Amino acid sequence: MTLNRREFTVRTLVSLAALSGMTVAVRAEDSKTIAVLFDGLYSEFWVAGIKIIKADLEKRGFKIMEAISDKDDNKQFEQVKAAIAQKVDGIIIVQTDSNAVIPAIRAANAANIPMVHFNRPPAKSDAHSVAIQADNQKIARDAVLYSCGVAKASGKKHKAAILIGNLGDPNAIQRRDGFDEAVGQFKDVIEVVSRIPTEWNADKAFAGLTNALQANPDISFLFTSSDFMIPQIQQALEAADKWAPIGDERHIIFTGFDGFPAAYQLLKDKYMEACGVQNLFYETTLAINAILDLRAGKKVDSLLIDPGFAITQANLDQKKDEMWGYTLWKETHKG
Amino acid sequence: MTGANSQVGVGLRKAAEPAPGTALPFRVLRSEHFTLFLCAVYAALAWPFVPVLFSAEVAGDIVANMMPLMVLAAGQTFVLIVAGIDLSVTSVVALSAVIGASIMTNSGGYAPGNAGVPVAILAMLAVGCIVGLLNGISITAINMPPFLVTLATRMFFSGFAIWYTTFHTTSSSISDLPGAFNAIAGGFILRVPIAGTVMSLPVLPVVIAISATIAAHIVLSRSRLGRELYAVGANRAAARVSGINVNRAILLAFVISGLSGALAGVLLSSRLQTGTPILGENMLLDIIGAAVIGGTSLFGGRGKISGTASGVLFLVLLDTTLRLRGASLFLIYITKGAVILVAATLDVLRNRGRAGADR
Repeated sequence: MTLNRREFTVRTLVSLAALSGMTVAVRAEDSKTIAVLFDGLYSEFWVAGIKIIKADLEKRGFKIMEAISDKDDNKQFEQVKAAIAQKVDGIIIVQTDSNAVIPAIRAANAANIPMVHFNRPPAKSDAHSVAIQADNQKIARDAVLYSCGVAKASGKKHKAAILIGNLGDPNAIQRRDGFDEAVGQFKDVIEVVSRIPTEWNADKAFAGLTNALQANPDISFLFTSSDFMIPQIQQALEAADKWAPIGDERHIIFTGFDGFPAAYQLLKDKYMEACGVQNLFYETTLAINAILDLRAGKKVDSLLIDPGFAITQANLDQKKDEMWGYTLWKETHKG
Repeated sequence: MTGANSQVGVGLRKAAEPAPGTALPFRVLRSEHFTLFLCAVYAALAWPFVPVLFSAEVAGDIVANMMPLMVLAAGQTFVLIVAGIDLSVTSVVALSAVIGASIMTNSGGYAPGNAGVPVAILAMLAVGCIVGLLNGISITAINMPPFLVTLATRMFFSGFAIWYTTFHTTSSSISDLPGAFNAIAGGFILRVPIAGTVMSLPVLPVVIAISATIAAHIVLSRSRLGRELYAVGANRAAARVSGINVNRAILLAFVISGLSGALAGVLLSSRLQTGTPILGENMLLDIIGAAVIGGTSLFGGRGKISGTASGVLFLVLLDTTLRLRGASLFLIYITKGAVILVAATLDVLRNRGRAGADR
């Protein structure tokens, strides 16, 4: 049988058309499916977050449609469209950009599918969704206030540095503001000499802190806007011969944020004074309950706050069980 | 000169044609429409696992998702045909998006509101032309390798886009774009009810992308420039001896690629209603992959826009089916990477076969 180019093209197109003709209205196989769309799993916080969300959803009998966009706003928009096509019952999303997610919210609104933003709120718009967010400013302020108290009690003046996150992320801005609010109350003791932009990038954090320590070798007070940068901070402080536990002359008063397992380890080993903890378990419960309430037609506030807490050298034993990082730490330190 | 060009073109076309009497599977495998056939087979195989694939809604999403990639891959095809590569095209997408957004945004733009939209779009296209020109000049005048030049400009303009954004917003992206611009992707939606579901097609992006793709096809297949590009890619020295202005052809290929990046920037930033400096950052593999899967040779001198369009359809189909199955990002990357690797390997083998035949 010979087939010329025209025949081949026609037959292929006819095959495609025939297949397309088998258009079917299909609902997701199970009527209870939640799409969990994260922009990346770049740190233990997000890995733990997606794990806890999935476990909670499965426990409640939901199926999960999971997708990671790798910080690609357009891909995440396509993922939302795919979830809508699958007629999911709700979408839990962590977007990269608070503005670029708005069309995706509008698409979900049009399809009458509730959308919940996990840990990162969208920009203000006329689109309807619910955001779960930690009270970053208060948590950061409380943790830094504890460290400021330690600084004051030392009877010395301190030079401070802050590792700031991506300023496109409202969480980063609020953590910075919480830090500023706290150190602002201790101006007689603490002078902020370095603000290091990291854009949530560990390499930039390392380079920035290294440069800051070279420019200001007498930095003795440090706040990181996220614990995921702890390995780079340790590396930079070790290189500057400033990595030492509480009580050592070289010790830098160190405050973290997030509540990573590494932060618990540092608190336990007395390298860190305090850490602002986001209550990941509570945020997960808030997110899933919000989806269920929205589906049930209940009114839900557009912003649900996780009050979080500060874990310090003073309350470590009492509060550690509420720290998600401690739960993970315990799993890897069994026996 | 024209005679020499057309001889090269005829030779290439003949190489792509399967010999008469060859068995059907080999004829299909060697056909220039192989990728289209692959799309049909893949869709048929995937259908039982992803039944929603043939719903009107998903079909509409597939078409909409194809459009920006098709524009980008068409531009890349020009560059690959002259045996080049343009790694900077995603930085053009990002830079044009933030420059355009900074001009027309209602929140402190240079020409805010709907009146500023034409100015912003022209500025975006100008960005594409300038970056393409810069790449082209560096490659032709200074004789630098395209890989190195476009890698450097990719880094430079990606960084520049982020830096530029910081001067125009306290956020990481520029939003509050005028309604007329947002309407490009979301304003005119064609809704076609099919078997109980509705296919929603954004009309303007489809019209813009298809028009650009057809224009690219005409330039490559019907114009003198097209013949020159194939000749330059197939054998640069022979093309020069034949009187073709090789540098001009290469320069134009990079300008067209830059323009395609800017046009995709318009489509994508209108879709997201935001100018973000990381827009399109992860699309490079898909852009080059679509062209290679569609039969464009990495060694130059061979490739067609119709093939590239089939490559785009295949990648978007692959992406969509895996996504609808809930496959992890890593599995999607691995699968796409494997497919592109197979396509590139076939290209190398075919090229080696041709080189052997020439000897």
